[in-house]
Amino acid sequence: MSIMANLNTKVVIQGGVAGLNAARRMAEFSYLIQKPLNVEAFVYPPDAGKTYDVPFGSTIVPVPVYHSIKEAAAKHPINTSLIYVGANRAYAAAMEALEIPAIKFMSMIAEGVPERDAKLLAKEARKRGKLINGPSSIGVISPGQCRLGVVGATYENLCLSKLHRSGSFGVITKSGGLLNEILWITSQFADGVTTAIGIGGDAYPCSDYVTYLEKFEKDPHTKAVIIVGEMGGTLEEEAAAWYGAKKRRIQLLAVVSGFCQESLPKGMKFGHAGAKEGAKGEGSARSKARLLKKSGAIVPETFGALGPAIKKVYTNLLKSGKVKEIPMVPPPQQLKSVDVAVKAGEITVTPLIRTTIADDRGEEPCYDGYPASELINKGYDIPHIIGLLWDKRLISKQEAEIIRRIIMLSADHGPCVSGALGTIIAACAGIGMSQAVAAGLIMIGPRFGGAVTDAGRWFQYGVKNHKGDIPAFLAYMKDNVGPVPGIGHRVKSVKNPDKRVKELVKYVKSTGIKTPHLDFALALEQVTSGKKDNLILNVDGTMAAVLVDIGFPVNSLNGFFVLSRTIGLIGHWTDQKRQGGRLIRLFDYLVNYATPKRREVPKLK
Amino acid sequence: MAKVLEGHGMRILQKWNIAVPRNIVVTSVQDLDRSVSENPWLKNTQLVAKAHEALGSRFKLGLVRVKLNFTQTRSAVKSMIGHQIGGLTVREVIVSEMIPHSQEYYVAIQATRKGADILLATCGGIDVEENWNRVKSLSVEVGDTPSRTSLQTLARKTGFPGNLTGKIADFAGKLFAAYDKEDAQYLEVNPLVQRSFDGTLVALDVVTLLDADAKYRHPDWTFPFAAEFGRAYTNSEKELMEIDAKVKGSIKFIEIPGGDTAMLPAGGGASVYYCDAVVARGGKLANYTEYSGDPPDWAVEALTEKVCDLPGIKRVIVGGAIANFTDVKKTFGGIIAGFRKAKAKGKMGKVHIWVRRGGPREKEGLAAMRELAKEGFKINVFDRTTPLTDIVDLSLGKEPATNAKGSKKVVAK
Repeated sequence: MSIMANLNTKVVIQGGVAGLNAARRMAEFSYLIQKPLNVEAFVYPPDAGKTYDVPFGSTIVPVPVYHSIKEAAAKHPINTSLIYVGANRAYAAAMEALEIPAIKFMSMIAEGVPERDAKLLAKEARKRGKLINGPSSIGVISPGQCRLGVVGATYENLCLSKLHRSGSFGVITKSGGLLNEILWITSQFADGVTTAIGIGGDAYPCSDYVTYLEKFEKDPHTKAVIIVGEMGGTLEEEAAAWYGAKKRRIQLLAVVSGFCQESLPKGMKFGHAGAKEGAKGEGSARSKARLLKKSGAIVPETFGALGPAIKKVYTNLLKSGKVKEIPMVPPPQQLKSVDVAVKAGEITVTPLIRTTIADDRGEEPCYDGYPASELINKGYDIPHIIGLLWDKRLISKQEAEIIRRIIMLSADHGPCVSGALGTIIAACAGIGMSQAVAAGLIMIGPRFGGAVTDAGRWFQYGVKNHKGDIPAFLAYMKDNVGPVPGIGHRVKSVKNPDKRVKELVKYVKSTGIKTPHLDFALALEQVTSGKKDNLILNVDGTMAAVLVDIGFPVNSLNGFFVLSRTIGLIGHWTDQKRQGGRLIRLFDYLVNYATPKRREVPKLK
Repeated sequence: MAKVLEGHGMRILQKWNIAVPRNIVVTSVQDLDRSVSENPWLKNTQLVAKAHEALGSRFKLGLVRVKLNFTQTRSAVKSMIGHQIGGLTVREVIVSEMIPHSQEYYVAIQATRKGADILLATCGGIDVEENWNRVKSLSVEVGDTPSRTSLQTLARKTGFPGNLTGKIADFAGKLFAAYDKEDAQYLEVNPLVQRSFDGTLVALDVVTLLDADAKYRHPDWTFPFAAEFGRAYTNSEKELMEIDAKVKGSIKFIEIPGGDTAMLPAGGGASVYYCDAVVARGGKLANYTEYSGDPPDWAVEALTEKVCDLPGIKRVIVGGAIANFTDVKKTFGGIIAGFRKAKAKGKMGKVHIWVRRGGPREKEGLAAMRELAKEGFKINVFDRTTPLTDIVDLSLGKEPATNAKGSKKVVAK
């Protein structure tokens, strides 16, 4: 049925991200053939002790990661290693794997492994009666049984090339891309493959065509073997010598590349590392093709002629009764991921959240449907974005100007207020910006900055129910709510008015917009400040009245203070960073120690 | 494989206690004059001047001059620098002392599948190629070190006189150590001579090929590797080599003057089959190119631009097998961007594009290529059902070599 890789293959993958990617591909194959995942463990010291998630069908298989292959081998019945580390660590990784008695076969994908390392590894493997495949190998695949590495590409390709079931052809190539191509061709022109092996295009790969030809010869299911060769080196010549040495059971087919060298400027060479002609023409494509043909192999003139040649061999095998046509059993479909299935309109999902303001799924975010760049290009400004995201409407130029002024007026109020103090203390304690600014923001509440929403709510109530009757409103508030939010200031008073309030009121009045709530609030101030000097309309109250007047929902009002004061809080944090502010500790004399005098602790009962 | 010029090769031999002639590499006569104070031997020894470039048969080209005094050396340097051979300009000259000797020998270490062969001959210089049957060899398995006795036996077998076998064995042992420890692929000392006045064996010239893949563990390889095909790298080649060194995967580009068929295929294996098909069908290659290992789209874009810049091209072959993990949509995205840039520069007017590819996201990649027809490109796009190199046959106006039954052609309009 196969060589090197079969249903008993248990794999350890040496390597991190690239190895995990290979495991995911291998899991797709295992799912395709409806067998359990054959990757038992990873060896990757930086992640030792963790597990890697390998999706398998509709589930996720956690595969443990070990520090050493010895540890992995002690806990798992592994017999094969896939080496997915870089060229500079490939030698050490393979030597580690060679030390494990149970591991008989290793396949290495690293490209650019020094030739000396590859030769030493091959020697060591020979000594121990083991096999290393590669370096630069795309991997090994036995259709219907086992996939080692990323060979075979996507699930779609596995299905197209019918890799869910075994065929009659063995394949050995240097090139990874062409290995995949042969898998496809063989599925179209014949019944497919028993095992396909990429030996890599290096000058001195650890194992060669002959190594695997001998194994294919002994595998009764393999009736023919296809070699995709290249100029350079002697591996194709050795394959020819092996094939011609005596009568072989398998039919050999071979193509060789590099004929173009003959018409190129002398000395110009290209292709894989191993593709270099000897000084006296040995290793040329022509001499390889000649020797292979002489040995009895079928050698099509071009790669394109390989398909029909395979077809001919297959037809003869059918005629002679050596193989029977395989009935087509469709492979299981790959399970679609939710996003793919949703996109294809095949399933519906109950959404977890619902949004009505922003959508970032296109090239750029849209705010309430308007693309951000178009808003910029058409002259809209930050207040308009606030209007869109907070109230889902495009506000007017005049309204935007009012918001702009509100933000400017309440951006900061010095270091002594609760918010700034919180941020400064945090900044001086070495806390990062977002946390330190949050320390300031959490101060915003009923007593500091957070009265805007409440003020707006009660002004709205007042205008609705007690318009023109301030005393009735105040009586209602006294009985049911308490002090009127937005009225009163700790330090400002009639004699010492809050200039910010005066400015804002002046501007809003100058615009000529209708301001029933502001008018109500000012009338209210007339009454309250008459009772007590500092019961004036404060900045929260003014903002609240104006914002309700221009139509913002009550619930959004505190946001204007939060937003504008964030500017100041960020300023305080960067200010402390800039000057290297030291840790703040209160002085004893700033504390009223109203505690009991020192006393004896009674005996514990 | 990486070729190293003689001067750098000499330093490597010296590192392994092999005697070499005193030498300096100069880039001008002024450079030579400036070197005199630190190298007084230049004034009181007979000298040899050789063009210090990756050139074979320098003797025949007149780029080796011997038995010179300092004044003659100055004029030799003057005449060699700037001399042009094919596409290569001589930029450096190596000036070394003459070593008086009577006999020339040959010693080389050559990589083999299982290790290396040590080659010896009692004839050196250009004689050795004509007397290849006199070369005797000893195979050494990788990881092993040849014993002194085995090297002496080899020397005796080669025909070295009894009084010289010990010295030759020691020299070969040192050269082998250099080969082994320096990750060399080939070291050839030719000629090797015995210095008349003290009998020391001196390496007069050395051919050094190192394993470029081992560079990471040789921090003292500070010299540049020389181009191996008898000419210097072109600027475009150098630019793309720099990108290649930086990115995941690989992009390769070699210019071939006078071609009409530009190559832009994927894969180190498939790319050569594409080149073979072009040559077999009577086309002339304008370049060799391949990209593989899922390189970033911008690198493929840069490669595409250089491919489209090739003068006089009539067609571009965007071929490839069915990729294992190279993302077809992404890499084709790079190629498409490169084509658009080339078109904007007016380069694509007479160029016909031929595409065949498979692999991850092949449908999306091929569809994007087909869309190019709407932008005025002359393009034909085929999928995996068209055999690998049929696009080459079609592009050269030939019936496909193997019009396999069942393969349907998807031709863009």
